[in-house]
Amino acid sequence: MLPDYSIFVMLAAAILGALICLALPRPEHVLRLIVAVSALELALAANIWASVLADGFVTAADRWFYIDAFSAFYAIILVLVFLLSSIFAGVYFANETGEHGFTLPVAHRFGALWLGSLAAMMLVLVSNNLGIMWVGMEATTLLSAFLISLHPSRLSLEAMWKYLIICSVGIAFAFIGTIFAAASIQSAGGAGGDALFWTTLASPEVKLDPTLMKFAFIFILVGYGTKTGLAPIHSWLPDAHSQAPTPVSAMFSGFLLNTALYCIMRFVSPARHALGPEFADGLLIFFGTTSILVAAGFIVFQRDAKRLLAYHSVEHLGIITLGFGLGPLGTFAALFHTLNHSVCKSLAFFAVGRLGQAAGSHDMHRLSGALRADRLWGIALLGSVLALIGVAPFSVFMSEYQLLRAAAAGGKWLILVLFLAASSVVFLSALRHLIDMAYGEPQSPVPAARASIASILPGILIVASAMGLLVFLGLWMPVWFSGALGSAAAALGARV
Amino acid sequence: MPAALATIHAIALVSCFALLGTSRIGACIRWLSLQGILLGLVPLITDAGGLDLRVVLLAGGNIALKGIIFPAVLLRLRARTLYPREVEPFVGFIASILFGIVALGVSVWLALELKPALPHAPVLMLETAIFVVSIGLFTIVSRRSALMQVIGYLMLENGIFVFGVITVVATPLLVELGVLLDAFVAVFVMGIAIFHINQEFGSMDVDQLNALKG
Repeated sequence: MLPDYSIFVMLAAAILGALICLALPRPEHVLRLIVAVSALELALAANIWASVLADGFVTAADRWFYIDAFSAFYAIILVLVFLLSSIFAGVYFANETGEHGFTLPVAHRFGALWLGSLAAMMLVLVSNNLGIMWVGMEATTLLSAFLISLHPSRLSLEAMWKYLIICSVGIAFAFIGTIFAAASIQSAGGAGGDALFWTTLASPEVKLDPTLMKFAFIFILVGYGTKTGLAPIHSWLPDAHSQAPTPVSAMFSGFLLNTALYCIMRFVSPARHALGPEFADGLLIFFGTTSILVAAGFIVFQRDAKRLLAYHSVEHLGIITLGFGLGPLGTFAALFHTLNHSVCKSLAFFAVGRLGQAAGSHDMHRLSGALRADRLWGIALLGSVLALIGVAPFSVFMSEYQLLRAAAAGGKWLILVLFLAASSVVFLSALRHLIDMAYGEPQSPVPAARASIASILPGILIVASAMGLLVFLGLWMPVWFSGALGSAAAALGARV
Repeated sequence: MPAALATIHAIALVSCFALLGTSRIGACIRWLSLQGILLGLVPLITDAGGLDLRVVLLAGGNIALKGIIFPAVLLRLRARTLYPREVEPFVGFIASILFGIVALGVSVWLALELKPALPHAPVLMLETAIFVVSIGLFTIVSRRSALMQVIGYLMLENGIFVFGVITVVATPLLVELGVLLDAFVAVFVMGIAIFHINQEFGSMDVDQLNALKG
């Protein structure tokens, strides 16, 4: 139904919601409003997704907005992560006290920046113009910076400043890449005012200058790659993820990184046309594998649970990037993995956040005995980290298995071996951390008081739906869903 | 108008070397302002289509923001924060200038390498763009004061602006305005961040931001 209007409503609802947040009289109202807006966005995104799967694309505003199966799928993940994180924000901030209390000014700032970030990411996904896409991406950096230092302290300000400077410089590089891409279409006698549309750039009829496209892709990959958290340009990521309030960490890890990867992928088809598939795929494989290896090294030595999860993000974004470089089968697996990782990582952050709130620290030693200290979030931690490291029957296992098959089918044996080796390191060290956290001796006395069922209901809802989705997709992939992933892969030029 | 471009090129180079060799932050901000005004003039000179509204708006917006508003914000911020008034480089001034000379050589070489692929772009401006970008990056990594990192970021923006103007013939105005808006917000966000950092640490030296590791 009216998918083109849905795009406008989706952007307008997020922006209006952000402004209304500033005027609400009580912190609880802000928390309710962000859940309501996210739920509305989910309905709209589902509507757009359904039309895209039926017709192939949705466009509006004279083709300035253009959504294909790839962007529609990403939009669904975006709003899913936002909905889960918004519900969790209610649970989390209700338990914050003292200097971290959720006072009215903090609530205003949080609500406005939270929905503002949602609007900016949505703008990135729906824009056809690569310049506007870039504007949206820079806006996500600027809006989300103050979410990290929602409660200004030395550590959170340090993390915020690093994030702001490193990502701004990275995104400035991406702008140089965008200019090169526009120049490559011109110098090959290209298409005037539409030169900055990715639909123009990706269409096979358009001639692109290979030298300029090569520069463009390198700048894009390094620029947006900084924000994706690809190693070795990931240095801001563990700091920002560990210092931000937990709902923000979940949103960063669950989707912000994917938004940047989305921008890179929009340049992959033109790069493949102009330079042949080897150049772009080779770079994606290189950065993907490097990220997996570097993250594996850091995961072994982590002491802080949120930093551990942050390095898992570097690893998993590396896996997704690697998948995109491994042809049609790999692209399919990477898309599936994107959904799995987003859901699973958000849940893991939620669990660590709640447990850390009770323990007063995110140090893994202090978190030990989680299953006894808090049954619900202890189970969530156990389940989500097991899923994260690829234990069957969770869906992460399935997508990683598909990725291995893609590597084998492409004859990339070295990559296969490196990936398996790094995964084993991650598996063993994360499992060791997890067993200590879940089954160790509790460091603080277990609270005897039992919460009322109404107060833990949102938590149960989040854990049950996220775990349910991970197990369900791990055991059975519905035909329509695999069809949807197939068309998203086809939109990236990879027909299975 | 190659003569006007040559003048802009020369003064841009001077401003970069001045930024590398100046120890007072206030003076650096004034050099940045001069650079912003000069480079803002480039679209008026190079645009093939003559002086239409788009070009005038683009140049005017850039000069107003990068030549006047941003420097004013930075000067105000410097006045409101106590310490330090000096650049305090990690890399000394002599070494910085030597880096500048090497970067200039590399910029000339790169501009000549890129020239065949970009036949419409004046090679002097290509060289200016690459040089300003490289000095901006160097300033970000080599200076201790957070304010100098913002100055470096704005030099990076200046260079990219020139590069965009000379290589892409017809960028839609909406995109240009979006980019300007982002730069505008970026400076304010960075300004507020510096203000908080200064309050919390009693200084805006970024080498104090060193607690998060591993």
